Amino acid sequence: MSFIELKHINKRYPGVDKNAVTDFNLEINEKEFIAFVGPSGCGKSTTLRMIAGFEDITGGELMIDGVRMNEVAPRDRGISMVFQNYALYPHMTVEKNIAYGLQNMKVPKDEIKKKVEWAIDILGLQEYRYRKPKNLSGGQRQRVALGRAIVKDQKVFLMDEPLSNLDAKLRVSMRNEISKLHRSLGSTTIYVTHDQVEAMTMADRIVIMKDGVVQQVGAPMELYEHPQNKFVAGFIGSPQMNFYDVTVSGSTVTFADGSRMTLPQVIADKLSACGGELILGIRGEDIKFDSQNLGLYGESKQQAVIENTEIMGNENNLYFTFGGALTVARVSKYEVSRIGDSVEFVFVPHKMHFFDKETERVIG
Amino acid sequence: MRVLSRRKRIANGVLVAVMLLLSLLFLFPVVWMIANSFKPDGQITADMNSLSAFLPPALNGGFFDNYVTILTNTSFLKYMLNTLFYAAILIVLGIVVNGLAGYALAKIRFPFRERWLLIIMLLMIVPMETIITIHFLFVAKVGLLNNVIGYILPMIVNPFNIFLFRQVFISLLDDVYEAAQLDHCSPVKYFFTMVLPMSRSVVATVSVFTFLNVWNDYLWPSLVFTSSDLLTAQIGLGAITANENTTMGQTLAAITLITIPVIIIYSFFSKQIVEGVVSTGSKEG
Repeated sequence: MSFIELKHINKRYPGVDKNAVTDFNLEINEKEFIAFVGPSGCGKSTTLRMIAGFEDITGGELMIDGVRMNEVAPRDRGISMVFQNYALYPHMTVEKNIAYGLQNMKVPKDEIKKKVEWAIDILGLQEYRYRKPKNLSGGQRQRVALGRAIVKDQKVFLMDEPLSNLDAKLRVSMRNEISKLHRSLGSTTIYVTHDQVEAMTMADRIVIMKDGVVQQVGAPMELYEHPQNKFVAGFIGSPQMNFYDVTVSGSTVTFADGSRMTLPQVIADKLSACGGELILGIRGEDIKFDSQNLGLYGESKQQAVIENTEIMGNENNLYFTFGGALTVARVSKYEVSRIGDSVEFVFVPHKMHFFDKETERVIG
Repeated sequence: MRVLSRRKRIANGVLVAVMLLLSLLFLFPVVWMIANSFKPDGQITADMNSLSAFLPPALNGGFFDNYVTILTNTSFLKYMLNTLFYAAILIVLGIVVNGLAGYALAKIRFPFRERWLLIIMLLMIVPMETIITIHFLFVAKVGLLNNVIGYILPMIVNPFNIFLFRQVFISLLDDVYEAAQLDHCSPVKYFFTMVLPMSRSVVATVSVFTFLNVWNDYLWPSLVFTSSDLLTAQIGLGAITANENTTMGQTLAAITLITIPVIIIYSFFSKQIVEGVVSTGSKEG
C-alpha cells in the first residue's frame, strides 16, 4: 500500500472561478523522494500546503499511512517542513531553534540534547550553535531549518523551494546534502521546486504540473526520454527541446521554411494514422554534426549557418535558424564552430518527438 | 559646487545655533526648577533677579532638606510607588490585551475585519476627556469607585496601542507561524513566545507610552480615587502643593521628583518612541 495518497484533490479559493489544483491523483511510496515541479502559479506549493494542512482541501481525500488527513491539524499529521524563507525563529539561537519543537513535544531533556547534538553534528553547525539566524548566511540558515525538520523523527518531509534563495554554487552543494540526508534518514520526502535541474537530480519520481493540473508523473529519465506532451518536453531539459511546425506526408517531413527530411519507415508508419500538421520536437544533443551520423542519416542531411555559440566548458551550444525556428544544438567541447560557419547536421530519427498540434499530446 | 557647499555649511551652522537657542529656551524652566529645589524659600526669593537663580546652592548639610521633607513628611513617596504599581499592571495588561487585538487584526481572517480596524482607528481621534464621563458612570455603577480595578479597567484598552501592534504584526512572516504549528506550538504560546519577542521594539514603545500615560494622568485618577492611600503621584503633587505649609522649595523638589522618571524614560527609550510612531505610518501591508 502507498504511504501517501492524494485522491482527486481539488483546491479552489473563495471568490475565484478557477481551481488552483484540479483532480490531483498521486500515490507516494514510503521512503520515496518526490518532486513537484512546474512554473510559478502551477499549484505545486498549494498542493504541498494542502498536504501540510495549511490550506483546506476543497475536494478529494488525503491519506497518510492509511489515515484520512483532510481534517487533521498540521501538527498531528506527522510531518516536518522546510520553508522557502527558512522560517527560523529570529530571537532564538541555532540550538534553540532546533530544540524548540522537541521541547513542545515534551521529549525528555537528555534526549533533546542528544538529538540536537546529532543534528548540529550532521549539518556541520557546531561553530554556529549559539548564533541567532540574523548572524548566519543563507546556506547556514537553510541547514538550521533542515536540522529543525530532521530532529522530530517525522515520517514525511515537505520542502517548499528550500534552495531558491541560495546562490547557484551553494544550491548545488545543498542539493547534494539534502539527497544524502534523505538517503540516510529514509524519510518520505515531497520537494517543491520550479527548477527542473533540482527535480531531475534529486527525485525518484517527478510530478510536473501546469495550471493546477498534473501533466505527467514519472522517473526523471522517463520524463526526459518519453514526455507525454509538449509542455513536459519543453519544461524538462536544458537547453529546452527545439520545436517545429511540420507537415508529415508519408515518410517526408516538411518544415515551415520548406526544408524536407525523410523519416525511417517505422516512424512514418507510426505517424500515418495522424499525419498532416504536427509539432516536431528534438533535443539539442540529438542534433548531430559528426561524420558518422551524417553518413548514417545522410538522406536527411540539412544545412544552416551558426548564429551564436555558447561555450559551456564541458560542451558547446550552437544556435542557428532552421525550419522557421531558432534551434539550439548541444555538441561536445571538441566540436568547434564559429559564428557564420556553414554546418551540416542531421536529426537522429528515433529521438524525434511528434506532438498533435491541437492537443499537444505525444504521438506514437 | 564649492559656493553651494559653503552656503550649505553656513545654513547648517545657523540652523544649529537656532536649535541650541531654542533648546536653551526649553531648558530654562527645568534648570531653574532643579536649581531652586535645593534652596530654602528665602534664598529663592533673594536669587530671583540674579543669575544665581539658575545655580544650585553650595553643597552643605541642608542641601537635600526639601527632598527629605517631601519624601518623609508627606505621602509623596507612597503616591509615586502607587503610580509605578499601576503603570506596571497597565503595561502588562495593555501588552496582552492590545497585543492580542492587534494580532487578530493583522493575522486572523474574520468577517468585517477591515471595518473593525476602521472603527478602532476612528476611536483614536476621540479624546479621552469626551468619554471619561461614560467611564466614570460605568465604574460608579459597578461599585468600583475608589478601587484599583475601577481605575485600571477603562485604561487597559487603547486604540492607538492596538493600531501600533497591528502595524508591526502585519509584517511578521506567516511561514514562522506555520513552522511553529509544526513544532507543536499552540496559538496562545505562539503569541507569547514568538510574536512578542519578535516584536520587542513595539512592546517597548507601548510600555513607554503606557508608563508616561499613567505617570502624567491627572483627570481619571482624580475622578476615581478619593482615598489618600490610592492616589497617584500627580494627584499627590496637587494635594502637596495646595497645602499652605508646603514651601516653594519643597514644591519644586516634588515637581523635580515627578519629572525625573519621564526624563529618564525619554532619554533611554527615545529610539523606541520614534520607531513606534514611525511604524504606525510606514509599515502598511
